[in-house]
Amino acid sequence: MSALTLTAVGGESFQVTPQLVDFNLRLVFSGIGDMNATGVVNEYLKLVHEEALRIGLSQVSCDFTRLTFMNSSCFKSFVVWIDTVKTSEIRYQIAFLTNPNLPWQRRSLEALRRLAANLVTIETIA
Amino acid sequence: MTDTEDAPALVSLTLSFRPLANQIGPLRSLLSDLCAPHVADADGLSRLLLAAHELLENVVKYSVGEVAEFHLCLEAKASGLAIRLRTKNRAAPERMADARWRLDALAAAHDPIAHYDQLIRESAGRRDVSGLGLARIPAESEMELFYATEQDWLILTAEGNTSERLSE
Repeated sequence: MSALTLTAVGGESFQVTPQLVDFNLRLVFSGIGDMNATGVVNEYLKLVHEEALRIGLSQVSCDFTRLTFMNSSCFKSFVVWIDTVKTSEIRYQIAFLTNPNLPWQRRSLEALRRLAANLVTIETIA
Repeated sequence: MTDTEDAPALVSLTLSFRPLANQIGPLRSLLSDLCAPHVADADGLSRLLLAAHELLENVVKYSVGEVAEFHLCLEAKASGLAIRLRTKNRAAPERMADARWRLDALAAAHDPIAHYDQLIRESAGRRDVSGLGLARIPAESEMELFYATEQDWLILTAEGNTSERLSE
């Protein structure tokens, strides 16, 4: 399998860190996804899709357990990404790992699951 | 009826400010600190903060002029806590028209979640603006969203309820 070319991105208030295990890519999001993070998330998810196709990933897991909030602009980037995977010839599964102490996550991510129920799963990490 | 109907607000905050993006985080923290002692559960506080965040970002993104207003009121009622958030900012004519169109569509929708899902599907192919922030408020915060205009001022009001934390 090819080595991961994605690197960690972000600054003081928001970070994304990639971890590749077998054919599963785990993206650990932390901090707050606000206006300052929108451009980072948008560009990063494009790279994730390119990387997923290049490596032949079977799943990308987005670990939100340390993400305190995500605004609608960052959320929109996930909508575009999921739609891109949905309409791609080569697809992979997308899993969101959520924190039960951050109730917005379940509400927001259910909307993404409804967008592509056959691609998106939501798992609560106790 | 309890005497809570005539009691002063648990939290009443009115702010007049020049909106900047880096103010939203500290404002959100302030609102959390002010409201957390009164809200019974994490879900109620989360819904309040989500609505406040989206309204504040809307002000930062789209206001023109140097002054905007933000108001939060948290009141104890016999039925629980009443939440009211309000923003007031000047808007350019094209932004005002867009906001009216979006808010009228939202008001006409019978099911805010179904309306939000439709907007998400429609936005999937667009790479420009989000267009989801205001619709997210009723869909995820379970708050009603109203608007009014005064010349080139746009006034948005979100109202909802949550459970009050009871004294031990």
